[in-house]
Amino acid sequence: MVNIIYIIILLLGIGFLLPITEKLGKKVSNSMFFLTLTSVSVISVQWLYAFIINGQTSLQFFTAGVKPPLSINLQLGLSESVFITSINILALIGAVYLIKHFNNIGIRSHVLYLLMILGLNGLVLTRDIFNIFVFLEITGISTYALIGSDLRLKSLIASFKYMLAGGVASIFLLLGIIFLYHNTGTLNIDGMIAASPLQSGLKIAGIAIFFLFFALLIEMKQFPANGWALDVYEASNPGISGIISAAGTAAILFALYKVMPLGNDLWFNTIAVIGIITFIASNIMGIKQKNATRLLGYSSIGQLGLLLAAMGLGFLYGGINGKFQFIIFALFISHFIAKAGLFWIAGIVKKKEIKSWGVLRKSPVLLFFTGSFMFALLGFPPFPGFFGKWELVLTLANKHQFLWITAILLGSLIEAIYLIRWFGYILKEKQEENETIEQGATKYSSVFILGTILFTISGLYMIYNPITNLSFYFYPLLFIAFLFITDNILPAYIKNILSIAGLSYYGYVYFNQFSEFRFIFAVIFLAGGILTLIPGFVKKGKRVGFYPSAIIMYVGLLGLLVAKDMFSFFTAWEFMTIGSYFLIIRGKRSQPHALSYMLFSLGGAYLIMFGFALTHVFSGGNGIALDLLNSIKSNSALIFTMLAIGFLTKTAAAGLHIWLPGAHAEAESDVSPMVSAVLLKAGVFGLILIMISSLRFDAKMIIYLLGWLGAITALLGNLMASFQEDAKKLLAYSSIAQLGYILFALAIMSHIGWMAAIWYAMNHFLYKALLFLAVGAVVVKLKTHNMYEMGGLIKQMPFSFVSVLIGIIALSGVPPLSGFGGKWLLYNAFILKGWYLQGAIIAFSGVVAFLYLFKLINSIFLGPVKDNFRKVKEVSIWYLIPQYIIIIAIMVISAKPKIVLGKIGDFITSYMPDNLVVWKGDVASSYMNGKLFGVWDAPNIMIIIGIIFVTLLSWLLIMSRKAQKVEMFNIVYSAERPESPQTTHFSHNIYSHYRKALGFLALPLIVNFWSFIVDSIHSIADFVRRLYNGNGQAYIMHILGFMVIIYFVLFNGGLF
Amino acid sequence: MEISLLTKILFSLLGLFIVFNYGLLQAGVMRKIVARVAGRYGIPIYQPYIDLIKNYSKRTQITHGVMFYLGPVFRFSGGIGLFFFIPMIYGSVYWQNFSFSGDIILLMYFQFFGMLGMALGAGEGGQPNSIIGISRGLAQFTAVEVPFTLAIISIAVQYDTLSVYDIVAAQQGGIQNWTLFTNPFAVIAGMFAFLGLMRHAPFNVVMAPQEIPIGPPTEYHSTYLGMLQSNRVVLHIVEAVLFMNLFFGGATSWLELIIKSFFIYFITVFIGVVFPRYRVDHTVRWFLKIPLVFGILAVLFV
Repeated sequence: MVNIIYIIILLLGIGFLLPITEKLGKKVSNSMFFLTLTSVSVISVQWLYAFIINGQTSLQFFTAGVKPPLSINLQLGLSESVFITSINILALIGAVYLIKHFNNIGIRSHVLYLLMILGLNGLVLTRDIFNIFVFLEITGISTYALIGSDLRLKSLIASFKYMLAGGVASIFLLLGIIFLYHNTGTLNIDGMIAASPLQSGLKIAGIAIFFLFFALLIEMKQFPANGWALDVYEASNPGISGIISAAGTAAILFALYKVMPLGNDLWFNTIAVIGIITFIASNIMGIKQKNATRLLGYSSIGQLGLLLAAMGLGFLYGGINGKFQFIIFALFISHFIAKAGLFWIAGIVKKKEIKSWGVLRKSPVLLFFTGSFMFALLGFPPFPGFFGKWELVLTLANKHQFLWITAILLGSLIEAIYLIRWFGYILKEKQEENETIEQGATKYSSVFILGTILFTISGLYMIYNPITNLSFYFYPLLFIAFLFITDNILPAYIKNILSIAGLSYYGYVYFNQFSEFRFIFAVIFLAGGILTLIPGFVKKGKRVGFYPSAIIMYVGLLGLLVAKDMFSFFTAWEFMTIGSYFLIIRGKRSQPHALSYMLFSLGGAYLIMFGFALTHVFSGGNGIALDLLNSIKSNSALIFTMLAIGFLTKTAAAGLHIWLPGAHAEAESDVSPMVSAVLLKAGVFGLILIMISSLRFDAKMIIYLLGWLGAITALLGNLMASFQEDAKKLLAYSSIAQLGYILFALAIMSHIGWMAAIWYAMNHFLYKALLFLAVGAVVVKLKTHNMYEMGGLIKQMPFSFVSVLIGIIALSGVPPLSGFGGKWLLYNAFILKGWYLQGAIIAFSGVVAFLYLFKLINSIFLGPVKDNFRKVKEVSIWYLIPQYIIIIAIMVISAKPKIVLGKIGDFITSYMPDNLVVWKGDVASSYMNGKLFGVWDAPNIMIIIGIIFVTLLSWLLIMSRKAQKVEMFNIVYSAERPESPQTTHFSHNIYSHYRKALGFLALPLIVNFWSFIVDSIHSIADFVRRLYNGNGQAYIMHILGFMVIIYFVLFNGGLF
Repeated sequence: MEISLLTKILFSLLGLFIVFNYGLLQAGVMRKIVARVAGRYGIPIYQPYIDLIKNYSKRTQITHGVMFYLGPVFRFSGGIGLFFFIPMIYGSVYWQNFSFSGDIILLMYFQFFGMLGMALGAGEGGQPNSIIGISRGLAQFTAVEVPFTLAIISIAVQYDTLSVYDIVAAQQGGIQNWTLFTNPFAVIAGMFAFLGLMRHAPFNVVMAPQEIPIGPPTEYHSTYLGMLQSNRVVLHIVEAVLFMNLFFGGATSWLELIIKSFFIYFITVFIGVVFPRYRVDHTVRWFLKIPLVFGILAVLFV
């Protein structure tokens, strides 16, 4: 093993040697520069290996053969080695990234860089408090110089502000150290901790620690004393900002970690509170920020706040070991890699405005990594932050710190607002054609290596995490990785075949493994997946990005069913969210809708996570099995409500629905059925899980309210759908309503009610997939969503017409198709339950559905053909194949509903024994108080209607066999001669009278409510942001003000 | 007593024949009454037969396409289907049609079958007036359905059944057992809905002959129109019989059926000649006021 002191020696020695070797030529000096960084990295990796694999114990090193304070005292344990390894590897990659920049500036930058890294290593390694000051100064001075070394005015100013802040921090740090030395008589941190100065009760000790912590908090850039830091992040070379943001803060975090034991619970609490305030405030201010690097600065500071909060809480609850070690490392490493990566990408993109970042699309690899880094920051799986956040929430829940959980989740949600929005810009915002991004192997390779490291670590987390076994994801994720890698190589149809094969394989494997509800949903997810992938064969070219996203979503959906514990379930939920987000945002105008989809999903997901954490706690704190939902001992109603709201964001219940219309309508034509017919059912599955759990406690009131919510959702959805002119939006609103029916039916909580719910879920899957496929294909063909621009397509597109016809008959609930079964079950269910008024609303909305269904088919397929569409042909066969498979399915279950419903009924009985549906042959009947109540004989109805229909049709065929076929406009038109299809096609706003009568119900009140929330957050952000006016003196004032505040808080807490 | 399927079919067809002829005659009588109220002499009561024969024997026919063709088929299937799913004469095994295939919910939703098909057929006709009529019709129908549903819920709860036959059975034994007297709120709500369903004034803006020449069927002529007319006469009787079964004790003989259904239908004609026409938005709002209140009272006090 190489002595760790060589890290210091190498960095320092070579640093000083470099100016001399430069005389031998740039190549020599550059080689030495890299050689040094490489050796340092190798040394740290070697130690890390020793600690992890060989179980090496912690070591102390002393220089110069004497004890401190005369020598430097270093300690190397597992934590230290993790941190220096991270820092040194990042430094090496960063050097590759920055080498051109450095070469332009000259050898001084190489030297400064090495010194900075030296300082950072020292901060981590030293156990001597005075050395902390020394290394902080080395880091600080070299950083100021490095920032300013490119001699741009902006970076010079930033460096000066940094110097001011750093100077103030140093003064207090030194004062603190002096007082502490005075108090304890030692400079060794362990000695000081052993002397426990705060126990002495001396005021001076309190003050000393106050100065010490305060100085480090300034260095940690805590709100509001951090204006200077933002200027630094914004103005420095992004390569350097990346290092400061990642490695710099890592070292200071570690330094703080070392001295933290000097504090007491009051301190830990205060530090945690400061951290969380910084986390939230910084993210709020980020919302209004448009400058890319400054935005990264906000995010960086926010993440630091989170880390600080986690650390404070860790110390408060018994020190950083076990869980908290895991949490902090997971959060740290995500931030560490992702932030450096994002800053470096900013250096490649070189666009100030986040809206101009669309130019990144020119480099798919960079785009991929940008997305990965952002999602890693936000704590999505498979990235480490995801595991960290989960454990943090669970641990805090165990301590009953619910306010903390709320704050952390709120902050994370706010962070998501700007990161996801930014990513949306990157993916969708229009760009000038001739815009380019910087080329150059060094920068690209640095980002690439960083990204690879991120994914390697994430992979390790997925495999070795101590929370649960996620091996289900192993092969799917490999497959997704394969899709990503080959995305730019393979043509779309091969990827499509592979994807369909993959889903089929999983269908085959899991066919027998699921039972009851899971089986039904597995059919919906897998069959839905395959059916909706088939239209993909239409696409020419490579369809970059589609297949990985789709498979991520389907893997997530399947993962929900496979999950046996809450963490796996949540992982699956997040995978599903990511995949669907990327699918939705592919649409041309999807960007804002995808954003709101993501934010609602995330909000819902956080509620679910919170709910799960509470489930864990209130079921006795033993494990995280999903079945614990059924053994919650207290606060069941609260947990139920949280989870319910979480799942309802996915099913788009009224109030939480505003993301859906845009997201579903603007998505690509084969994505709409995926996200509508298939994806929404994930929420239904979640609802079923928690409603089963609710059987064990009294949730009547909440479920009663859910019933009303379902009814209102159904009515509002259908009303809104009736007023749409956009065909896909109409279908999207219709989905909202249909999910309202399902919610209503579930809330009835009886055998027949749940049968209705599942029957609806299955049917909605079928007819909504059918309608979205048919209408979507037409929309693609005509290149317009507006129904009033279509018309008369029945002759050109007869097959699509039949699909839509079957779809709307099934959806409307008209006998004899399957939709009637849903109505029959639902009516029986609510009458037997006694929910007459809600039931009447449901019935009313069922009739309102006719308005939009008629409008849909009439406006698109009937009436006169528009001149510009006279020559359009039937849609592609690849769209028709899945449609006709679905039609066959609808026909089968319409004629013989028992084959499906019978089985569903059997297993519902074990949960809901009330109001049974009894089958006699194919006849379903319901009973009230033991007396026959309702009857439904589906096959018979179908036969009777069929015979009548065929008889009458034959008769008409005979009677009007000579009918003459006429052209358009050959109609009875009083006193006018119609000449253009536009004037004869009555299709725009055809329910204006209805709007007059009931339009007040469809006013966008909910949208206005959410807009109000959004505007308020933006205004707050804008207001708080003004704090940072760019003036160095003001920043110093902030620091001092911050100090006074902390002082009084602690004083009040009785510290002094 | 069980009867064979063939007997059942034959009796159902015979019943259809009776209803069809009764419907034609009733249509003639009602038109005559309306004419007399307006101070005209009016048509002979067999005029509907003449109209029907004339339409079926027209030699010139045109078609706008398949769906146009299917519209009347849907419509008439809806009417006949509804007939087949409704029990006609209480206490007789021969006149129950196929009502045991479903219950009142089937009847409620089967009404849409004809409406929807007809709407689509008219849509393919390409006549804007048809679409105006349909959009009005659908809008009006949504509102009409609210008191109707509430009334149905109310009596389903009252009699513990959704089966129309059982509802009639529960009303036997004297006029005091009729829903009219046992559940007046439901009957009031239901009869309001009936006005909307029958589309006489004040709820006849769907057809509005002066404004959008007869609305949805504008483009239909000859055999198509014949079918629509045939449907209309059947449907009117069937709907009246449905309401008779639900609210007015049903019928134990054809004579009772004819008398009761005549008067039930007559109510709409009577109101139609007295009141002027509502606009659609007025209709929608009106149905969501007074009839809705009665509907809610019906479910609250059942």
